[in-house]
Amino acid sequence: MALLDIRDLNVSFTSYGQRTHVLRDVSLKVGEGQRVALIGETGSGKSVTSKTVLNTLPGNASVESGQVFWRGTDLLTRPDREREKLKGIEMSVVMQDPLSSFNPVFTIGHHLDSVLYWADRRAGRRRGRAERTAHIRQVLRKVQLADPDRVIAAWPAQLSGGMRQRVLIALALMNRPAMLIADEPGTALDVTTQDEILRLINDLVTEEGLSLLMITHNLGVVRMTADYVYVMRKGVIVEHGPLKQIFEAPQTDYCRELIGAIPPLYGAAVKDQPLSGEPPLVKLENVSKRFTRRHLLRRDETVDAVRNVSLEVPRGEIFGIAGESGSGKTTLARMVMGMLGATEGEIVIDGVRLTDHAEGRIDRRMAQIVYQNPGTSLNPKRTVAQTLDVPLHFAGLDKAARARRTDELLERVDLPRHFASRYPHELSGGQKQRIAIARALAADPKLIVLDEPTSALDVSVQKRVITLLEELRSDLGLTYLFISHDLSLMRNFCSHIAVMLRGEVVEQGTPAEVFADPRHPYTRALIAAVPVITDAEDAAKPVVTEAEKKRFLVSSAA
Amino acid sequence: MGKVFFVASGFIEFLLRRILGFAVILLVLSLMIFALARVVPGDPARMAMGPSASAEQVEAMREQMGLNDPLPTQYFRFLSGAVRGDFGVSLISGRPVTEQILRLLPATLELVLVTLLLMMVLGVPLGVLAARYRNGWVDTLLRLISMVGVTMPAFLVAILLQLFAAFYLSDWPLLGRIDRGIELPGGPTGLLLIDGLLAGRLDVVRSALQHLAFPAFALALSGIGQIMRLTRSAMIENLRRDHVQTLRSFGVPDRVVTFRYLLKLSSIAPLTIMGLEFASLIGNAFVVEMVFAWGGFASHGLESIMQNDLNAVMAVVMVSGIFFVLANLAIDILIGVIDPRLRLKEGR
Amino acid sequence: MPSPDDTMRAVEEETPVILSARRMAWMRFRSNPAALIGGFMVISVILAAIFAPLIAPYPEAAGNTIDFANRHAAPSAENFAGTDKVGRDIFSRVIFGFRVSLLLVIGVLGIAVPVGAALGLAAGYFGGRTELLITGFTNVMLAIPPLVIALAVGSILTPTLVNAMIAIALLWWTWHARLVYRVAKSVAAEDFVEAARLAGASHWHVLTREILPNCIAVISVKTTLDAAFVILFGATLSFLGLGVRPPTPDLGSMVADGRQFLPEMWWGVFFPALGIFYATLGFNLLGDGLRDMFDVEV
Repeated sequence: MALLDIRDLNVSFTSYGQRTHVLRDVSLKVGEGQRVALIGETGSGKSVTSKTVLNTLPGNASVESGQVFWRGTDLLTRPDREREKLKGIEMSVVMQDPLSSFNPVFTIGHHLDSVLYWADRRAGRRRGRAERTAHIRQVLRKVQLADPDRVIAAWPAQLSGGMRQRVLIALALMNRPAMLIADEPGTALDVTTQDEILRLINDLVTEEGLSLLMITHNLGVVRMTADYVYVMRKGVIVEHGPLKQIFEAPQTDYCRELIGAIPPLYGAAVKDQPLSGEPPLVKLENVSKRFTRRHLLRRDETVDAVRNVSLEVPRGEIFGIAGESGSGKTTLARMVMGMLGATEGEIVIDGVRLTDHAEGRIDRRMAQIVYQNPGTSLNPKRTVAQTLDVPLHFAGLDKAARARRTDELLERVDLPRHFASRYPHELSGGQKQRIAIARALAADPKLIVLDEPTSALDVSVQKRVITLLEELRSDLGLTYLFISHDLSLMRNFCSHIAVMLRGEVVEQGTPAEVFADPRHPYTRALIAAVPVITDAEDAAKPVVTEAEKKRFLVSSAA
Repeated sequence: MGKVFFVASGFIEFLLRRILGFAVILLVLSLMIFALARVVPGDPARMAMGPSASAEQVEAMREQMGLNDPLPTQYFRFLSGAVRGDFGVSLISGRPVTEQILRLLPATLELVLVTLLLMMVLGVPLGVLAARYRNGWVDTLLRLISMVGVTMPAFLVAILLQLFAAFYLSDWPLLGRIDRGIELPGGPTGLLLIDGLLAGRLDVVRSALQHLAFPAFALALSGIGQIMRLTRSAMIENLRRDHVQTLRSFGVPDRVVTFRYLLKLSSIAPLTIMGLEFASLIGNAFVVEMVFAWGGFASHGLESIMQNDLNAVMAVVMVSGIFFVLANLAIDILIGVIDPRLRLKEGR
Repeated sequence: MPSPDDTMRAVEEETPVILSARRMAWMRFRSNPAALIGGFMVISVILAAIFAPLIAPYPEAAGNTIDFANRHAAPSAENFAGTDKVGRDIFSRVIFGFRVSLLLVIGVLGIAVPVGAALGLAAGYFGGRTELLITGFTNVMLAIPPLVIALAVGSILTPTLVNAMIAIALLWWTWHARLVYRVAKSVAAEDFVEAARLAGASHWHVLTREILPNCIAVISVKTTLDAAFVILFGATLSFLGLGVRPPTPDLGSMVADGRQFLPEMWWGVFFPALGIFYATLGFNLLGDGLRDMFDVEV
């Protein structure tokens, strides 16, 4: 008998009188000790599935039909009280976003103790506070948090994202559950931290003999943590089977497309971008940026966001800057755009020093930017046409010319003309990014800074946007400065790459060189942490020693 | 790893900044009230003397009030006096303004403190209740009550309460702070409740409470409504947060999540607003004291304004400002105690 | 140039099928009976004020008429809210009283909202010294009890409707400035503002076309709620004797007049009070409904 057995589940949401069917005849099984992944893109219904199991659906959701069997009992027929008793004891969830998962005005220990106290109450156990604290300490050690007492006393804001994610896992393990439901664990964290977290979950599942339901959008994560895979799309399970079968012989077009959309890290499928061989458009010489934090009582603190960076971006190429959060890559991009002044050093664009421009602000026909978050890069109160009108208007075009150019721009980014009258909320994430690209193109720039333009998009959408960017580059002779943390994407999209760590460029070269023979241990660690989808790629990854990791990565364990 | 996780210096720095800001507020306030008193059309000396005084008498008054000095000198004199607690003499009674205010302050202080207590004690729990049963009938009823509270001007509530008492509670005292026959306890604070308790005079406490009930309620009603609404919306906003989901998913009961975890977090917003609304609370105290013949600082302010007693008006405005600033400082400290993020926050 | 097939590939990305924001907002508003009632009350107050001479049963009561024979008449079929100390019909005077209240609202908010919004926008967008100066000044103004300043201004100048308006408007803008500042600051931090600047847009364009439209929702909710507070505030001022001059009917001074004859002639206070309550409740309900409709925190 399967531990969890979902049969023909149908769930719908009602909002303002409109009913949307979000799950259609979903069937899924997790056996004792099995590791199962449920994969899907945004809006596929994967989280709704887990919420149905956990009985945490929002009030406007209703289960239309189907059964959810837990050890043979249909949970949907049981009263809430009874289902409540399973939570945290039989099945535990590992939450997605470690940043907002704790109440900021209570200590971590308070959260953990509460959960334990109420679990004890339900189980009819009696334990004193000291006993509970001892247990909490033990569980925190299990998730490899080096200093449990410090974690217990800490406020949520005092822990790093990785540490909070570990505490969340500890919460899930607290009462030795039979099954772990992990909802996109580590997605909000850096690759290297995510890698640590996934390994930890894997180890725990093995050691404790747990079953695992891994909910994710990342195929690389699936490969690391599951043996059996369900693929979901628009509320329907489109395909399921053992990991090997899904990855090597997918049956449906959707699966093939999904797997095909993932940029390879190593192997024959990797694409090398041509070098332009032209002189540099952008030149950075020993550029530094220091931020100062003023204090009344203590000495002012300074943070070196960027330290002594020298780069040359050849005309017509795609120059990638890789790094994790806090590495200074975005600060660097903002300096190139002239939005921040450099503390030291010189930035030269197209032969002109940035400081020689009026107000230190770069000419808009020189450089434009495409932002990471499609949600905030377009004004919600302005239509697409109005948004595109701004650069055209200030370029001095008359009304007829602006209308013509708007049509042209929409065509350039593969959107139909009638999109001109749409508001941002009527666009999907990918379409918004296309409009953002069109806006950048409208100013007719030579350089476009791409600040993680696809990191908020699903892989299939990402692939199409990247293809568009490649076309635009060759058609219009653009130069890109591409900021990203996604190394597998950069391997295929960039012609040059620089790796940043704590404000410094630690390594640069063509992707082929850097990936084949990464010199700096940090680069090696970064590449090694990328979740890949084939064993061959995994084997081709560079080796990094624990000592090196310790030196260059901020551990989430302490 | 150090053992000290409570990084206090950040918080002290935060408080220092606030105190500095408050000092600036008082400084600018003094400048504004001075400007208002000196630059507005009309001659303060003439106002003080009344229309029947002769030109010579007015001129003598001008000299006495120092109105012939250059404005900066006058301002500096006002400011240095104010810092020492000296606001000059009343143009009407001729007695020092500060003395009058100090004598009347405890009455207003008592009223305002009881009002604040009432606002918190009624507003917060009712807001929590409304959030807990949101969109149900309890919520609808409470929202309606809060709206009525916010809608009713304090003077109307005061009058309606008096009207109600006149018809249904004929023995209830409606004017003043305490029954005439009772000998005042005297005491360190001037607050009848506290002095009465200290002196063991339960008759004083009883009578003072009776007298306080209506004015405090009239003054508190709109605040109760606002705090209720803010607590409710903060609770509902926080209910959407992931951390509620975290605790619930691990089986911590709903009521514990609501009353223990959310209440503390949700008290920050109403507290902040309460600080801001403190100014209008003092304003309302003017009217309520008048209706109930309370004889406090606020009624004195109202009289001074009506009689164009400029020195007293300036003092009243400055003291109200100090009230506001102190209340907000207290609230900042309270929020700092509640919210560790504020204590941990590094300077900007 | 991409072929038509290529054009389709971008469209195929899932476009969110959602109701338009406006329709959603309207549905939220419609499903809120309190808001509808509030809207009805506000409209009725406005209509009553405009057509007061036609609606009031005794329009002459708004003036200096005296009918001593009929003074302090209890509510009856002829004067269903009774009459005052000189025999004027209270109901008619309440209707006319709405005129003063609404004039006050228009006058005060007509000054305070644009001023507050402009300062808030500037502080939120420009930041730096502008921000420090404006927020600093706003904070100072917030420390002053509004009633005290209004009284001071009112008593130093002569108590007229215009002076009362000026006195109230002097302080009222602070709340709008504070609110718009908060919203404008968060909007100004969004990428689209920077993008517009990079596209060559002027500060004026950014302020009026990019940021202001995103503040309209909070401004309109706040303005509606404020209308109630201005009515309330004006009534308090005139209750204290700083309102319009008699005989112009004014709700606050009617309450003050009636108060002398409590508790026997309760209608002299009760019906003007009801008038104040009706108008303020209407605006409050409407504002509350708009708040839910736009889903903003004000």
